[in-house]
Amino acid sequence: NNSSQLSSLPLQILLYVNGIYYIFYFLATLAMIIYKSQVFSYPDDLLAPDLAVLFLMAILEVPRLYLGFKGNLTEAEAPLGLSLGLTVGSVVLCVYLLLWQTYVLWADVLLNALLLSAYGLESGLKVTAIAAFVS
Amino acid sequence: PADIRDAAEARVRSAPAPVTDVARLCVCDLLVAQCDANCCCDPDCSAEDFSLFTACSVPAVTGDSQLCRQKAAVYSLDVEANPPERTFKLIDQVNPSIFCIHATNYKEALYLKSPEIPTPENFDQLLDKFGGATFSAEPDSWNLDTDAQNPPDANETSRYEFGVPVQTEDAFLRLPSPVVSSWCSDANPAGFLVNQATKCIRSVSVEKCDSIQALSMLFYINSSILAVKPKFLIPSVHGSVFQVNITVQSIVVQSLNGMRTALSSGDVLRLPMVLDDLCINAVLGVNYHITHTDTGEIIEAAAAFVLGAISKEALSIEQSFEISFTQENTQPVPLSGNPGYVVGLPVRAGFQPPGYPFPAAFLFAALALSSNRHSQLTILQSTASQDCLAAQGARAPVLFGYNMISGCKLRITAAVKCQPLAQTLLDVLKGQSFPEYVASFGNSQAQDVLDWVPITQLHISEQMISHTLQSSCQIPVSLGIEVKWTKYGSLVNPQARIVNVTATVTTTTLKQLPSGRERIIPIMSSVVFTDISSPAEPSYKAWPTIDIKLPFDFFYPFV
Repeated sequence: NNSSQLSSLPLQILLYVNGIYYIFYFLATLAMIIYKSQVFSYPDDLLAPDLAVLFLMAILEVPRLYLGFKGNLTEAEAPLGLSLGLTVGSVVLCVYLLLWQTYVLWADVLLNALLLSAYGLESGLKVTAIAAFVS
Repeated sequence: PADIRDAAEARVRSAPAPVTDVARLCVCDLLVAQCDANCCCDPDCSAEDFSLFTACSVPAVTGDSQLCRQKAAVYSLDVEANPPERTFKLIDQVNPSIFCIHATNYKEALYLKSPEIPTPENFDQLLDKFGGATFSAEPDSWNLDTDAQNPPDANETSRYEFGVPVQTEDAFLRLPSPVVSSWCSDANPAGFLVNQATKCIRSVSVEKCDSIQALSMLFYINSSILAVKPKFLIPSVHGSVFQVNITVQSIVVQSLNGMRTALSSGDVLRLPMVLDDLCINAVLGVNYHITHTDTGEIIEAAAAFVLGAISKEALSIEQSFEISFTQENTQPVPLSGNPGYVVGLPVRAGFQPPGYPFPAAFLFAALALSSNRHSQLTILQSTASQDCLAAQGARAPVLFGYNMISGCKLRITAAVKCQPLAQTLLDVLKGQSFPEYVASFGNSQAQDVLDWVPITQLHISEQMISHTLQSSCQIPVSLGIEVKWTKYGSLVNPQARIVNVTATVTTTTLKQLPSGRERIIPIMSSVVFTDISSPAEPSYKAWPTIDIKLPFDFFYPFV
């Protein structure tokens, strides 16, 4: 019964793909930071913030995706709203890794741009889903 | 005015900014205001200079090639054109790799850091960071504060190391030596394990000779030596450090005419005193012998004195000082090389003890270990007076590799008897104890009999054909020592080894002189070192051979 289903299918698909892509993104970025620290001059007091940001983003991603799934499937706007808030934090961290990292490689630019676009699309879909649930 | 001064100070405070524009960078521009050859980027070169170049030594100047996009200055020489001209292009170089650096927020990643210019404000901090012998490239947070963990202990001692001044309870062990001029300076410390021998002149006066400290034995054995080196030179702390007293090993009394007598009661302290216009018991020489352990602690110290008399007319005397270090339980044998002889070190020689050739390892132990001067291979030393009979005992050691020639003049009158003269001349030429064996290696041990080369003695008469050969007597006029040595061992590090030593005494007939006449005969002695090493032949590895043998039952069951 399509008309009574308020859950957003595109959002669900996007969240699922985002989860898989994020695992790949996390491993790739970690590997590149290790590569940069060996090949370039990477002092410890600049390496620590970059690693901290990456791990913080990973920690934020898990509840964010879980709340997104739960909110969309149960058609509840509170978890979805919380997930949207966490997305904002993830976007900030992603922008940091895109612009303010010590060394920004071309691969970094590609990965982060892709993640940012996924976040943007997700945020749009979440807003429409919340609007659908509330009304 | 203040603002100009501030601006000048601000300029001084920062180093000039590094040049990063590739169009202005030139690695081959080494000469200032002159054109460098084949340097296409040199701004001092004109078009005529470029036409003389053959190639560009620096074809391109780029920044870090890891960047994704960067500017590159490309220089090339167009040899087709007449005259050849240089072309300069500024292009964008792209790095296709996916791991190229797109941007970096860390300035020092691409350029070297400009060092901080010291100013009065940051001087102390820079001195802390860079003032030591080493400084770490790691950030300061990684360095543990070692000073806080080990506070300096006043009782801390450390062992003596080579060259460190030997400390006594109040200062250093003094070895007076000439500084700048020949006058003795008492401020020269003796270094640990540094064997030294010095001679210097001290001004004296006979009336005050018992008040001059440097002439008295007490001055040299007064203070006791510290066995280990304390960290701080605080006399009050030294009570805890073990002290070694300097003992008097022997006393030799030298009379005014140079004759030396050893005193039997060698440990009695003799102080200088004035006696009949002479000052006796004045110290003319001190020889310190310090015994140490193999860990750098001093356990024994002994001093051998030479006391002499100073006459009234003497205004200065020459004092000689020597210090030698011996490790405990070892016999000191100064080597002349290890194993091959080193050029400039004395040739070691010795005698065979009576009872040889009975085989026993300790027989050669009586061989003189070159610390005993009388058994070295020595050669007559020329003196200023050039008189053979007056130069008794002046001998120079034969140093490996140094050809030496020396001589003296002998005055013969009619009254001279031939036979005693021949014996005297032989003593003058050969010395009191001419050795019989010479060590073939610089480190030959006395026990290794085969490492010692016998000295071949030859006698040649100058006049071979003479009918008076048998009847008249021959006097030796020259001694020639020829040392043949060879290179031994590997090609890259050949060691010198003495193979043969020949001492040739040339004699001549002493013609009887008419009375009243006198003759002067030159006496000569020489040492020649000859290299008889055969040219080195490199040896080649043997060709590999194929050695195939079939097993016994290979063709079973057919055979």
